[in-house]
Amino acid sequence: MRIVSIGLATGLTTAILAFAPAGLFAQWPDYKAAGVPRTADGKIDMKGPTPRAANGKPDLSGVWQYMRPPGTPPPAPPPPAAQNGAAGGGEIIPAAFRTSQFWNLGASFKDGLPFQPWAAELHRQRVANNSQDNPDAHCLPIGVMQLHTHGQPRKMIQTPNEVLITYEANSGLRQIFTDGRPLPKDAEPWWYGYSVGHWEGDTLVVESTNFRDMGWLDVEGSPLTESGKIIERFRRPDFGHLEIEVTIDDPKAYTKPWTVTVYQRILPDTELIEFVCGENERDDRHLK
Amino acid sequence: MKAMVWREAHKWWIGMAGFVLLSPALFAQWPSHVTAGEPRTADGKVNMSAPTPKAPDGHPDLSGVWDRGTVPGVSMQSTVQPGGFGSTPPPGPRPFQDLPSLFPDGLPLQPWAAELRKQRFAENSKGHPDAHCLPLHPVQLHSHPQPRKIMQTSGEVVIVYEANDGLRQIFTDGRPLPVDPEPWWFGYSVGKWDGDTLVVDTIGFRDMMWIDEQGTPITTSGRIHERFRRVNYGTLEIEVTVDDPRTFTKPWTFKLNQRLMPDTELIEFVCAENNRSLPHLVGK
Repeated sequence: MRIVSIGLATGLTTAILAFAPAGLFAQWPDYKAAGVPRTADGKIDMKGPTPRAANGKPDLSGVWQYMRPPGTPPPAPPPPAAQNGAAGGGEIIPAAFRTSQFWNLGASFKDGLPFQPWAAELHRQRVANNSQDNPDAHCLPIGVMQLHTHGQPRKMIQTPNEVLITYEANSGLRQIFTDGRPLPKDAEPWWYGYSVGHWEGDTLVVESTNFRDMGWLDVEGSPLTESGKIIERFRRPDFGHLEIEVTIDDPKAYTKPWTVTVYQRILPDTELIEFVCGENERDDRHLK
Repeated sequence: MKAMVWREAHKWWIGMAGFVLLSPALFAQWPSHVTAGEPRTADGKVNMSAPTPKAPDGHPDLSGVWDRGTVPGVSMQSTVQPGGFGSTPPPGPRPFQDLPSLFPDGLPLQPWAAELRKQRFAENSKGHPDAHCLPLHPVQLHSHPQPRKIMQTSGEVVIVYEANDGLRQIFTDGRPLPVDPEPWWFGYSVGKWDGDTLVVDTIGFRDMMWIDEQGTPITTSGRIHERFRRVNYGTLEIEVTVDDPRTFTKPWTFKLNQRLMPDTELIEFVCAENNRSLPHLVGK
């Protein structure tokens, strides 16, 4: 048996961060996956060749964990107040912590994100409110972008006609149709939008529209409107790594499209665990 | 092109107040999509009697969007009680609400389990996880009115449920059942092919779960044995054996048929969003 700790608290608002335990521990059976490239000492060869699906495309299937972009310094550890479970005074979340992609997608841009004026104001309000309306804090679906950068793992299952991404966080589930269907026009707005993908060489290119209005792309609340479009380019350069280049094209909220790259590494020999956010949920009333 | 599709109400089985307050039908739209490669009759409809599709590895392919499971051979099986919760139900088997209704003598409940079931029903099933947007038991999900989608790969079968973020993973890569696993809402499932039948064994459930609306329990020592067979293009037959000596004096088995829902997809269903039913649930 193995014990795995999940950095649960990173995903929630500052208030929850103060109240939640530092780690959630769960156990699940150790199962060694077959057909995985291993080095002489039995470890997974992360730089092994990209696996291929039966149809010759790269196979993106696997359990994936978010990793910091190469060359990025690690975020500061959570402040002592949060570790002690008490909401300390002053700055609850240090500035260094708020530079992660999960927290603030604009951190890597010299001038921040190219907000339209109203979007900048909404972003400012959301930050000032300690992100208390972030769907994640209310056990609601988190949205495509925060799920890419979320600390809890996700599992991709690829078939010829569809790529399914199941997220451990908040029962997230995303379907990407790769059977050639077009994007729908004026479909029902969904938390995850409607996604279709096609292969360009070894890259899976996914376009998504039909999002619900005023979504949260990061914990600080950089918005995505219902007219927004997300273009993702998934690439598995070797066995152990996944690169997702994401372009946000939402003229209502941003003066121009902008692009970030998210990096994930394979989590071998394991599976997602059950995470039922709404069970015995007692944080909601403490949010402020 | 848009299709207007309606799904029947699925909240009527929660407490009485919930039944009264919730709207009778949920309307949702999604794009009409004609799936390529489906067998069709001369009039363009999907041929539900066509042969069972095969996966690349030669096994039957169970993939597809499937409607609720009903008891084979019984034509009319209402999921709605016309008089509301607590009224006299229509005759016939009602697997979602009342598993004992499938058997002439009911279920072989141990005395404590019969008593618990009685209490749960007397409280209008207000403690049912579904009423609290929590996961339902896989046995009850087989007959849930909201559809489910099966995705099959060579090493795994995933069942995605529209209802309450249900997601079930059945590992078919040859791994054994774990010993003493962490108890989960969905348990831990492994499957293997026995000819054209996918045989699935599941253990590791949380204790005192509900396998029907009226509160038939299963304990953490319970084991579920399922046999999935896609008898033709449009029909999935599921035989379920429940083996839990703590709850039942002997194992028992029932069969359900699910019907393919072609050319559609699951819709998003976020139970916890703007959920205002909870304070209104009533019971003893």
